[in-house]
Amino acid sequence: MLAEQYSEETGVQIETQPLPPDSYGLTIRTQLQGGNAPDLMMFSPGAGQANAVLPLAEANLLEPLGEESAALVPEGSESLYGIDGEVYAQPTNLIPVGMTWNPTAASDAGVEIPENSDGLIDACGPLADEGKSMFVVAGSVPPNPGLMAMAISATRVYAETPDWNEQRAAGDVSFADSEGWQETLQTVVDMNEAGCFQQGAAGAGFDAITQGMTQGTSLGGFLPGSAANELNNATPGLALEVQPFPPAEGGEPYLLASSNYALSINAAAEDPQKQAAQEFLAWMAEPENAARFTEIQGGVAITGPDENLNPVFEPVRELLESGSYAPLPNLSWPNPGVYDALATGVQGLIAGQGDIDSVLQGVDQAWDQ
Amino acid sequence: MGTPQDTGPVVRGTVPAAGSGRPARSRRSRPLITYGRWWWALPAILAVLLIHYLATAGGALYAFTNWTGIGDFDFVGLDNFRRILEDPASIGSLKNTLFLAFGFLVLTNVVGLLLALALNRTLKTRYLLRVLFFMPVVLSPLAVSYVWKFIFDFNGPLNDVLGWVGMEPRTWLADPTLALWAVLVVMAWQTTGMVMVIYLAGLATVPPEIEEAAALDGASTWRRFRHITVPSVRPSIAIASTLMLIQGLRVFDQVMALTGGGPAGATETLATQVYKETFALSNFGYGAALALLLTVIMLVFSVLQQAVTRDRS
Repeated sequence: MLAEQYSEETGVQIETQPLPPDSYGLTIRTQLQGGNAPDLMMFSPGAGQANAVLPLAEANLLEPLGEESAALVPEGSESLYGIDGEVYAQPTNLIPVGMTWNPTAASDAGVEIPENSDGLIDACGPLADEGKSMFVVAGSVPPNPGLMAMAISATRVYAETPDWNEQRAAGDVSFADSEGWQETLQTVVDMNEAGCFQQGAAGAGFDAITQGMTQGTSLGGFLPGSAANELNNATPGLALEVQPFPPAEGGEPYLLASSNYALSINAAAEDPQKQAAQEFLAWMAEPENAARFTEIQGGVAITGPDENLNPVFEPVRELLESGSYAPLPNLSWPNPGVYDALATGVQGLIAGQGDIDSVLQGVDQAWDQ
Repeated sequence: MGTPQDTGPVVRGTVPAAGSGRPARSRRSRPLITYGRWWWALPAILAVLLIHYLATAGGALYAFTNWTGIGDFDFVGLDNFRRILEDPASIGSLKNTLFLAFGFLVLTNVVGLLLALALNRTLKTRYLLRVLFFMPVVLSPLAVSYVWKFIFDFNGPLNDVLGWVGMEPRTWLADPTLALWAVLVVMAWQTTGMVMVIYLAGLATVPPEIEEAAALDGASTWRRFRHITVPSVRPSIAIASTLMLIQGLRVFDQVMALTGGGPAGATETLATQVYKETFALSNFGYGAALALLLTVIMLVFSVLQQAVTRDRS
């Protein structure tokens, strides 16, 4: 839609190339090395995902971007978007990640969001007796348990130590020795044992999340904020919102929020195309166009919440405004295997396999590969 | 000298054709363009060598590198193989692969042979039943796996049936002890029909007269099966077991569709781990080492299997 709008305004023709998300990273990498990649591409910031931007920048496959792009990079997140002082990716918008909450279903069940996770866990049993669940989890798809663990880690790890990833990279800390990460996974185990997840959660897929959240049989789930917006748009009358996961007793609310997508230019593109792509990125950086992108994708403006904030994110406005949030942790992790180890480990904990120590040791091993 | 049915010498032109009275054309005087020249296969041989073996050998080289799929790489010798041996996940994948391969080999051959024996001669509805048992073979493994995923779902029909008889529902595909068996059942269910057909072809070569004669001589059903049927279908056993072993060792579709290798790697096989390491985690060097290991394992077991099932008579 934005490409069409840009073409109408400038007369520049843009040809889009849709790719399926599950093979996007692999396809783009192959195209980049084969010399037939698009001029402008979308990646994930950092190095922790299969479609991450930094490995491509290190391999000189991407073009350094201009000042307009650099100005959009959130303070403290520079290392996710560039190397050696150059910026290679332009962030699009902020996607908050906490717990996706169905306030209507919660109200019907007589449940209010507890102040801390102990209260939340205590409320799970009575809710399960009514045939409902506090959370719906797609246990058979590792990224969902992985996202849950990261959402919980916001208050257990990153609220107190925002630079925990940098400390891990320096070798000063480790997952296995981190009290915060142990508490994070212990919370998952406690929730599982208390019946906080729907029946059969260990074998459930994403369809269970869609059904549970839209039909109100589960009060919450763990989804990127933009997915909550999509579910609202697709289901008349549904008004999901994003809430921070309750902290441990005595803790402060904290959230994850970062730009999960960023735009980059192909270093092998012809000069006129590079110039055109730079101009498009500058156009995208203009506030009204950035706001339009945010509106379409269902996130928060990269500059922070404003008067156009999507109601989905209203409960976390204060946290966003006060800066009480950290980027999605796995963006800063050195390779996709780290998140995979965490996600499959948490999947195992839900299925009654393995223990917290072995999961965290596995994550450390993946980091050191 | 060949059998009366052996037309080879005639076709090859080494003996006179019956009734022709003319001497055979000598090898030296054969025309250049004729049927059955070996070099007719040359384009296919070259294509196989270039596309299959050369590409495979090229890919195998990456097993000795640390390539991530992007940029440069270094040769790391046997590091990737050492890592495989030290990685519990890879050892688990190897164990799962061998369990599925040999479970699949045994299950498909035993059930396939039993089906073939049952549907060989006497049953009137045998043709219909053969079709029914063979039908899953023609379906896509992915489609079949998704149907079974629905059956195994926590809210699916299998748990419904268990509920009717008062049993607790199970998370079949998320239970570390059950998931691998579930995958094995799906693999065997889809492929047993193929094995049945192979054994039916073998059983068609068993002369009924010999079995009848043995029966008249007082041989029991088991003795007739042991001493007449089994020796007659030995070539079918060799073919079916080889195919099933190889198919079992390279299992991929069913695992990906049913469990994705989970929970926590409980159903991961070498083939799915090759895919995951190479394409999802960008460890091309490590993935290539796993693929090379899988190839060697398939080669070794195929040779061993051929040795075990060869005709020693």
